[in-house]
Amino acid sequence: MGPMDERRQRFERVVMPHLDAAYNLARWITRNDHDAQDVAQEAVLRAYRFFDGLRGGAKPWLLAIVRNSCLSWLQVNRPADLAGFDDRVAETLASEEDGPETQAMRACDRRMLNEAIAALPAQFREVLVLRELEDMSYKEIARVADVPIGTVMSRLARARRLLGESVRAVSNAAGHSVNR
Amino acid sequence: MTREEAFRLMHAYVDGELDPAKTLELEAHLAENPSARVACERLRDLSVAIRAKADYHLAPAEFARRLSASVPAAPGDKPRRFAPPRWLPSVAALAGIALAVWIATALIMQFREDERLATEVLASHVRATLAGRSYDIASSDQHTVKPWLSARLAFSPPVADLSAQGFELDGGRLDYVGGQRVAVLAYKRRQHLIDVYLWPAGGKQENLALTRDGFNIERFEKSGMSFWLVSDLNRNELADLARLLAN
Repeated sequence: MGPMDERRQRFERVVMPHLDAAYNLARWITRNDHDAQDVAQEAVLRAYRFFDGLRGGAKPWLLAIVRNSCLSWLQVNRPADLAGFDDRVAETLASEEDGPETQAMRACDRRMLNEAIAALPAQFREVLVLRELEDMSYKEIARVADVPIGTVMSRLARARRLLGESVRAVSNAAGHSVNR
Repeated sequence: MTREEAFRLMHAYVDGELDPAKTLELEAHLAENPSARVACERLRDLSVAIRAKADYHLAPAEFARRLSASVPAAPGDKPRRFAPPRWLPSVAALAGIALAVWIATALIMQFREDERLATEVLASHVRATLAGRSYDIASSDQHTVKPWLSARLAFSPPVADLSAQGFELDGGRLDYVGGQRVAVLAYKRRQHLIDVYLWPAGGKQENLALTRDGFNIERFEKSGMSFWLVSDLNRNELADLARLLAN
């Protein structure tokens, strides 16, 4: 067995199990299947090329590459989404309290929630997906997003507040329309 | 803990990322502040709702398959890896040939050396037998033979008493083999004479067993000494002696 085959097998064993995570992140950032496939494919091929440089956990490593591929893709295709996405400056920690109507969260339906997450600015959507859907630690998220842990915390807090507000607004609107 | 700090740390608390000391502080604060408690519950609800309801986009099977197929065939697959120069194969081939020639030469030289020594020890053994001069010091006592040899050589040959195993020590003598003075131990089994030639080994040597002109020859190395056994004794018994001497 040649060194290439060995490398390939190691890659399949170590990196390919995280293909779903790679696709999920790309899908949430690009917000459509077709682009997600392109971006994820490019990222995985890049990961294969740089495989020798892998240190530590394979999942954050791969997702960091996916994230960079997404960044390049956004620059070309969705420059408007980039605002704040590649900000490495630690933001002021959010300490705002939630409004009183977040009970709506339990009742909100699947479609509404997905739309609300998709509507979040990219840098908040990203940390939320990594935290809640990939169940990654702050440290791992910091590695993927290439920001300090403090920024992960503040972005996550902001993401949740924005999401809560958005869901609330939508359910209120729905409630009004029913009442009317 | 201030209300502001409690709301700030709440996320890390819900995410299980808060250190134990801060966790205790925050829990004390939550116990005293119902509104903070409610906010904390909402955060949990939100997390639970996202995990339960948000889409997890699995990589489409077709995509995974296509990707897996394209990984090894990726263009510019290994740009960061060492690219062997074009002349490398020919140089490697030449080096390989040179190495093969060197090894073959070394093997032939070794073979010739073994042949020469075998011829020499055999000639020595035959001459000694013909002349009836098997030993310079006649003794069956290893403690007599060993010092006699040691006094006349630059090394001290091991001399074993193997009479219990049926090999009587007859005596010892000096001889000249391979351009050096060597020790010869004369053993006897029934009416067969066995000469054991001993000298410091030049290097690691393979064991050797051959038959020449009706004589059997065994060669082995032990503790930096080269042992050559020559006798008209049958092969198996000579091999037995070689084993005894080697252990």
